[in-house]
Amino acid sequence: MQPSKFKWVWLASVLVLVSLAASSLAPAQSAKAAGPTTGIVCTEGPSFNLTAQSGYIQMSDMNTVYMWSYGSGTTSGNFQYPGPVLCVNEGDTVEITLKNELPYSLPTSLIFPSQENVMADGVLAQPDLANDSLTNSVANGGSITYSFVASRPGTFIYESGTDTKTQVTMGLAGALIVRPSMGANFVYNRASDQFTPEEEFMAFLSEVDPYQHAAWEKSVGKGKNYNLNNYHAYYWLLNGRGFPDTMADNNASWMPNQPYGALARIHPFNDDPGAGQAYHPNPAVERFINVGTEEYPFHPHGQNGQVIGRDGYPLEGPGGQDMAYENFLVNIGPGQTWDVLFAWHDAEAYDSTTNPVNVTVPDLANMTVGMFYSGSPYLGVQKTMPPGVSTLNQCGEYYIISHNHALFQLDAFGQTLAGPITYLRIDPPLPNNCP
Amino acid sequence: MNNQFSRRDFLKVTGGAVMITAGASVLPRFLRKNLMPEEVVQAAVNYPAPDLFFAGTDGWFWLPPIPEIPPYHPDPYGADYTPAGVDPFTTYIFGFRNVTGLTDAQRQNQRNKTQHNSPFFWTDQYDDVINPKELRVQLTNLGLALRPDLTDAHTIHWHGFRNVIPFYDGEPHGSISVPVGQIFTYVYRPRDPGTYMYHCHVEDVEHVTMGMTSLVFVHPLQNGDTSFYPSGKYAYNDGDGSTGYDRENALFLSEIWAEGHWNDAHIQESDWSLFKADFSLLNGRVHPYTLLPNSPIDLAASTNCLTVQFDGNGNLATNPGYEHLQYNPHSSLITCNAGERVLLRLANLGFREAAMTLAGIKMRVVGRDASPMKGRDGTNTSYVTNTLLIGAGESYDAIFEAPAYEGPGPYDTYILYNRRYTQESNLSPGGSGGQRTEVRVYPAGTLGPQLYLNQHPDDLVS
Repeated sequence: MQPSKFKWVWLASVLVLVSLAASSLAPAQSAKAAGPTTGIVCTEGPSFNLTAQSGYIQMSDMNTVYMWSYGSGTTSGNFQYPGPVLCVNEGDTVEITLKNELPYSLPTSLIFPSQENVMADGVLAQPDLANDSLTNSVANGGSITYSFVASRPGTFIYESGTDTKTQVTMGLAGALIVRPSMGANFVYNRASDQFTPEEEFMAFLSEVDPYQHAAWEKSVGKGKNYNLNNYHAYYWLLNGRGFPDTMADNNASWMPNQPYGALARIHPFNDDPGAGQAYHPNPAVERFINVGTEEYPFHPHGQNGQVIGRDGYPLEGPGGQDMAYENFLVNIGPGQTWDVLFAWHDAEAYDSTTNPVNVTVPDLANMTVGMFYSGSPYLGVQKTMPPGVSTLNQCGEYYIISHNHALFQLDAFGQTLAGPITYLRIDPPLPNNCP
Repeated sequence: MNNQFSRRDFLKVTGGAVMITAGASVLPRFLRKNLMPEEVVQAAVNYPAPDLFFAGTDGWFWLPPIPEIPPYHPDPYGADYTPAGVDPFTTYIFGFRNVTGLTDAQRQNQRNKTQHNSPFFWTDQYDDVINPKELRVQLTNLGLALRPDLTDAHTIHWHGFRNVIPFYDGEPHGSISVPVGQIFTYVYRPRDPGTYMYHCHVEDVEHVTMGMTSLVFVHPLQNGDTSFYPSGKYAYNDGDGSTGYDRENALFLSEIWAEGHWNDAHIQESDWSLFKADFSLLNGRVHPYTLLPNSPIDLAASTNCLTVQFDGNGNLATNPGYEHLQYNPHSSLITCNAGERVLLRLANLGFREAAMTLAGIKMRVVGRDASPMKGRDGTNTSYVTNTLLIGAGESYDAIFEAPAYEGPGPYDTYILYNRRYTQESNLSPGGSGGQRTEVRVYPAGTLGPQLYLNQHPDDLVS
């Protein structure tokens, strides 16, 4: 079914803004720290202050949804979803002080499911069943400090440990990245797990049942009476955004509470310095994190990823054998994290003069043309579009989609082409003319 | 039926005229062709003829009408498109038809005659030196007979194809897609053997769930070398025969949400976030129909695609007595002799994870997502199981060795079924009605060599 004109106008305006932000105009930044336009934006540790609080995020269908999440700092006012990406180094003693500014005098807490020996205010963290909490909780208005030694590298989750079925689905979750002692450009302490530092990305997956969120927005009574047996997500999110907002830069100004973009921007892989193409010898990495309640069968087109770790454990045998495996479908379950190396090789090296595609390139006027298309099969080449067709393509770069393959999740309350979709943007080899 | 002149009737009457005369607003790209000077992009080259020619269109197929899901299933419109004397088709679908070898007129006749699932196709691994043979798949778009208002383009997205360029990926926003009446040729150099899927990627939630889906696989370069395994057939370039097999079967999983299909037939929008699978299909059918033969097979035309015979109009041939299965032509029955190795190529383009269980025979997983089970240092990561969890968009290659024949019947039967029982049962009469089939093990030497994919002993073959 053809999408409505409204949606395309909206999509086009978002993407025009994206390209403006990527051009020579100064990117419009929110109050949050400036950083790279694509890729992971780290909040550096090893000591952190997080404040649990309520706030709002914007969905692809222009709805605004009430959420609970975390902001950096010791007071509310820095709400963001998902919570800040906490980055530390292997061996660090991580200290996270949680301030509870949730509404309705609710208690809360933090759990770190893949960490051992977590301390709460200096003693071993223990369940607090009186407060329906998997760990020591903190009363409303108070603070508590959790600490642990980041004993091994990988990708981890932090999330509320109190009334988890409510607080985590309301949004109280975030990512923790522990960098290995081998260096920040490795995922684990294996030479084979090296990646290109500018090509480190996150796919943080979650979903929202707007009826649950609206119940809590109205009152504590309605929230507590919300029957989780009726839980049904209508929004599915990637890094806290739905497509096309997933394509926008980190810290895009029009989403002040959703700072994390999901566009993966890379260059073609080439580990042969003698080859004609630019030398680009290391892959990219995508850190997949599922804090939702559903499986997210995520499908990046055009490449088989190399799954090198899950839940912060490298895939290896007892004798150090490499148990990594390739896939084109990252079937990530609730509460899991998967670390996946990936690359795009210009395998056929098609070139308009020396190695053309072996088919008649159709006249674009006879075809339906996509909004990211350069007009040419060839990387780095742009063609004039036929009348009535515009493109967001900047320099002949390729756009190859990545999306969830439980396709009903590509939806925002009935609006299609939303949800966990983003693109792999492959720029022509350097030097190029890309902004 | 009532005597109202419905929106649908209006479209049926006027649709053809709309397509032709209102092109300026409905199909602006047809007009553009005339308005825009053609850009000369390439010198004329005589390219090889396409290996396959597929057509995207709509149609109707049959599922058990009971239990009813009022008002969505069975869809009463299906009877209008069912030949006289045949159990009425129940469900409106989109799909691809293999129109290779049809005349232009025969091909045009296939509008409103698609099938579910779409055809299986395959090719040999491409290699610059050993096998520099591209696979050329031509796609045309016949339009939607019941919904001429839906001028959707179509594409072929080869799901899992590594290092694809957007031009050949079929994802419409990154490149081009094929509007009604146009043709495009996808040229593939498949360098990685294994089991993949393909589907239309235009409006993919809708076009996938409506049925424009199937399975595609790539045979390895090692095929033909009998030094590792006597048949010379392998799933991967294993170098040791560990993926050798005697027979191969494709098992493709898909789902039907009756309301979504009804909505498309009745010009209603679907809220896909409400998706709920009512039927779980194996090769386009539900049990016990999964056990029935394939539609008559054209063996000579099945070099790259499991090809069903066609009649003078280009329409799919049927088996006598099974005319209601005209548009779900694929069997799922697995047959083998005791002691033989059987490769199961499983792929899931439903939206839910399946748990395919083979009771009584262990399977060795030798590949996943068209990748052999090997770590980066060569460590063998294959494993033995009875149940394969297959996520939405995932594929598995599993090999089992048929156990000894015990008797006393003509064959021993083992059940292959979805252990998520809600996906194995549609409460239809006469069977469990979902993703279930059988493995039938005959005494050694009973069955001749497998002639084609998914061969059924009762198939009509020419």
